[in-house]
Amino acid sequence: MQRITRREFVKRTAVTSAAFTSLPAILAACGTSTGPSNKPSKLVIAAVKGNEDAPLKKVAPKYKSETGITMEIVEFPYDQLFEKLVTTFQANGSSYDLCMMDDPWMPKFGTMGALQPLDSNFGFTRDSDIPTVVYDVGTWPPPHGPVPPSEKGKTQHLYGITIVGNVEMFMYRKDKSDAPKSWDDVLTNAAKYNAANFYGYVIRGKATNPVSSDSLPILWSFGGNIFDDNWKVQLDTPASIDAVTFLTRSLKKYAEPGAENTDAADRSRLMAIGQAYQSTVWPGEITDIVEDPSVSQVKGKVAYIPIPQGKSGKGLGMMGNWLLGIPKGSKNGSAAADFIKWMLKTDNMRNYVANGGIPIRKSILTDASLTAANPYFPALAQSFDAVPNWRPRTDQWNAVETSYGTAMNAAVAGQMSPQAAMQKAAGEIRTLMKNANYPS
Amino acid sequence: MSRLVAEIPAPTGAEPVRAGRRRRGRQERLAYLILLPALGTVFVIVTIPFVIAVFQSISSDDGTLIGLRNYGRALSNPLLYEALRATGIYALIVLPAEILLGLAFALLVHRTVRRPGLRATLYVLAVLPLVVPPVAVGVVARLIYAPGYGVLNYLLQSAGITHSEIQWLGVPILAMGSVATVDIWQWTPFVYLVLFAGLQTVPRESVEAAQVDGATWWTQFIYIELHYLWPLFLLILFFRTADVLRVFDHVFILTGGGPGTTTQLLSLYMYRLEFKYFDAGQAAALAVVVLVSISVLYALVTRALPLERA
Repeated sequence: MQRITRREFVKRTAVTSAAFTSLPAILAACGTSTGPSNKPSKLVIAAVKGNEDAPLKKVAPKYKSETGITMEIVEFPYDQLFEKLVTTFQANGSSYDLCMMDDPWMPKFGTMGALQPLDSNFGFTRDSDIPTVVYDVGTWPPPHGPVPPSEKGKTQHLYGITIVGNVEMFMYRKDKSDAPKSWDDVLTNAAKYNAANFYGYVIRGKATNPVSSDSLPILWSFGGNIFDDNWKVQLDTPASIDAVTFLTRSLKKYAEPGAENTDAADRSRLMAIGQAYQSTVWPGEITDIVEDPSVSQVKGKVAYIPIPQGKSGKGLGMMGNWLLGIPKGSKNGSAAADFIKWMLKTDNMRNYVANGGIPIRKSILTDASLTAANPYFPALAQSFDAVPNWRPRTDQWNAVETSYGTAMNAAVAGQMSPQAAMQKAAGEIRTLMKNANYPS
Repeated sequence: MSRLVAEIPAPTGAEPVRAGRRRRGRQERLAYLILLPALGTVFVIVTIPFVIAVFQSISSDDGTLIGLRNYGRALSNPLLYEALRATGIYALIVLPAEILLGLAFALLVHRTVRRPGLRATLYVLAVLPLVVPPVAVGVVARLIYAPGYGVLNYLLQSAGITHSEIQWLGVPILAMGSVATVDIWQWTPFVYLVLFAGLQTVPRESVEAAQVDGATWWTQFIYIELHYLWPLFLLILFFRTADVLRVFDHVFILTGGGPGTTTQLLSLYMYRLEFKYFDAGQAAALAVVVLVSISVLYALVTRALPLERA
């Protein structure tokens, strides 16, 4: 028997393996693909798993009964949804007809050119019953604030419509005191009501996104910022360090143990079991936990207000809207746009609210008949009126948030001083932005 | 294959030669056919991603080849050295702990447990942690260490050992210790199983002879058993070191790398580079460096092992 050489063996194996692994692709290429149709039998939505998409799942059957189109909702955890969408968009995949997007993701998707414009392609126009900022947050390049260098001069288009009208607000125990008007009042109340097993303030201090979201309203209200209007990093300015010192030193004295590991669910739990006096809050936490009589011991005892004023004289809430957009790769763009329009109709939004949804229509937010079931609606309406800040509109936001949120976490844990933490974050972010061709 | 060749009678004419070739051709085809699924799978899930990673490591986001620039950026990033430091500390805690505990269990069972049924039960118990998904281990560990509702603090306080909550995940040294204990719990049984199997290969006559000569428990271990276990120690060290470089799930769930970057191990750092910073070039460069490092380690270990070589 003739032996074959190792080289020959490797060569033959490689050829055979390549043929074997290429087979499915060749077969797929030989198959017939279905062309785009006007009315698909189903639309696939990539959604975030949690209280954000739960109401969407509840109203989807109604859409099917009215149109015959099944809404298939594919859920991912927060981080994985972003990663999945980025990789899908990079491949121009057609897996999803619609996608849920957290508003800070818009710069990344806008810069990538990953979405279909809703205004020019599908005739979306602004509705006066919906706050202007809601349309602005779905517009790319951003209508105000600094614009990434690569995006200057591009035509603005609407790429996303909010379906979860999240704005970060403030909650406190109204059965114990009046509403705090400023962060000084917050600190005073924290000291006054702090007791054994009852925390004067809850810090959502878990690393990266959680502590970043928790601290930005304080940073802004104190006159600090991450960037100025020219993308210059501001985290190591006196105002920013003052804000971080306030949260991680002054308020921390009255905060729950383990604040550096506390996330939104832990915070809501502490409020719901009556072990905390006050904190920042997202609307989803209110309906899901704090005001849910099946899990809360404080239903009716908590009030919701816009973010209190800081040293800048302003109280700046933070946008956390979840938008619906149509990926460029979707072959059912028109049908997907019809679904978004259906969601925006007043009657359908009322039904969405009845199923736990967070609305964006002013007429619904200010409807007194809905306030009893949704005690945060007036505060949310006020927050929209005050025009909340959005996170910096840069495609580098995820990286910026990771640096900032890691340093903030170290400061909350007491591992670094506020000044050292902000200097570290500022240094990392400057390098990052410089590498991304920003004038930082 | 060589034995097969030797058994085939020498060809005596043209027809037998052709028949031999045909038979050899059939055998080769069969061999390739049997190998095909395994090789195809390896090609798809290992070779292709590796080639892509190497390409990414030498190219920019738009696909332009940029030489070793990504490697330069990866190696000059100060965050890399924070991650390496954290990984080093983690390895210094878990590797000695797992090896010593695993060895102690193996010796204990080998010398004291004689009943086959009990040995089998211990074997099954040792396998259990190894088959639990690391994500599930992380979730359970969070229930143990979490502030506010963690079981460990509850037990310590109930027993009167502590009077206030210990921040297992909030204080840097405790956070590192907490994530390390999870690893130790899950992987000590692996060391135990390997070393216990090694102890079974020690010839009984040698041990009995030593005992007759008055060898103590310790000298018996040092002069006889350790000799047989030595190659296994190297093997364990290699596998566990490679595992430490890819530890992710339970650390991500327990601390997310915090507080600060205290528990941001190398794998977590690479994940962040790829999926938070979307710096595929730097992440790929680092992945290639890690792969090469593990390969070098593997080469060193295999050279040190007294393996029979063909």
